[in-house]
Amino acid sequence: MATKLDDIDIAIIRALQKDARVSFASIAKSCNVSVDTISKRFKKLEGLGVARGTTVLLNPKSFGYDCVASFGIRADFSHINEILQFIKKMPDIVFSTQTMGRHSIFALVIVKNVAKLNEIKETIKGHPMVREIITSIWVSDILLCPSNFDLSMAGEAKTG
Amino acid sequence: MICQWQERLKLDKIDLYIIEQLTKDARTPFRQIAAALNVSPDTIIDRYNAIQQKGIIRGSTIVLNPKEIGYNAMAVFMIDISPAEEGKAQFDSFSILETVIKMKDIIVASKTVGDYDLMAIGVIKDIQHLFAVRDEIAAIPGVKDMEISFWSEITELSPKYFVI
Repeated sequence: MATKLDDIDIAIIRALQKDARVSFASIAKSCNVSVDTISKRFKKLEGLGVARGTTVLLNPKSFGYDCVASFGIRADFSHINEILQFIKKMPDIVFSTQTMGRHSIFALVIVKNVAKLNEIKETIKGHPMVREIITSIWVSDILLCPSNFDLSMAGEAKTG
Repeated sequence: MICQWQERLKLDKIDLYIIEQLTKDARTPFRQIAAALNVSPDTIIDRYNAIQQKGIIRGSTIVLNPKEIGYNAMAVFMIDISPAEEGKAQFDSFSILETVIKMKDIIVASKTVGDYDLMAIGVIKDIQHLFAVRDEIAAIPGVKDMEISFWSEITELSPKYFVI
């Protein structure tokens, strides 16, 4: 069930998606409300769990992590969980989950180079219950578009 | 790990502290960071600008919980692009990527090397919506084939690099 958001909540989210350091005063001005209202609403969004905080987007390449890749893994059904736990323990895996569809498990990995990537792939492949592993190296600058989130559902919930 | 960063980027303790604080909370006042390090707020502002200029920080954003705004699942779309045909221009995978990333609900996309040409991750409301997103990608000229995996456990990707 989506949390109910009104126009002010949505304006705050949209402004912070572009720049998390934007001043509440400027959001307040654009919404024609007081700064206090904005800071109270932001605290409310955090309290409700709609927002989990703010963060900066770091470029992995500037930290020497040149290789972003994903693994699609097909595994023996009765062992998916076991394999997932095995993968989650690997330090270079930044994200992993059970999936339905083409693969049983999908994982993202960020490593320094392709040699390291191969090493990780071989380790996963070495698990006796892994049937197939498909590696894809993400080559272009990863495009992130948090602003593509559609907030209208939450907005509609208010009027409905 | 921090030592390696330091070496490569010539970042000092102040820079690293700024990055660490802002990763936890991008709205941390520079005054507060300055006080913790015993330097002037101007120093922090200069350092922050320098870090941005070097491309180490690409921006800042609010971290949303998709479940609270009506998304129940996520999906990865693994896309194959048609190879060049005789007498026809090859489909430009960059323009396909651009079309995909402009779609509503697609939050990460990249060209890939491997079994697929392009990968995109999207947030999904329900099964009907999953079909709708698939159809929209399939309708892009040059998209030959697509495989999909989806999941309902919504976890933020490592906040250091990606934010969903």
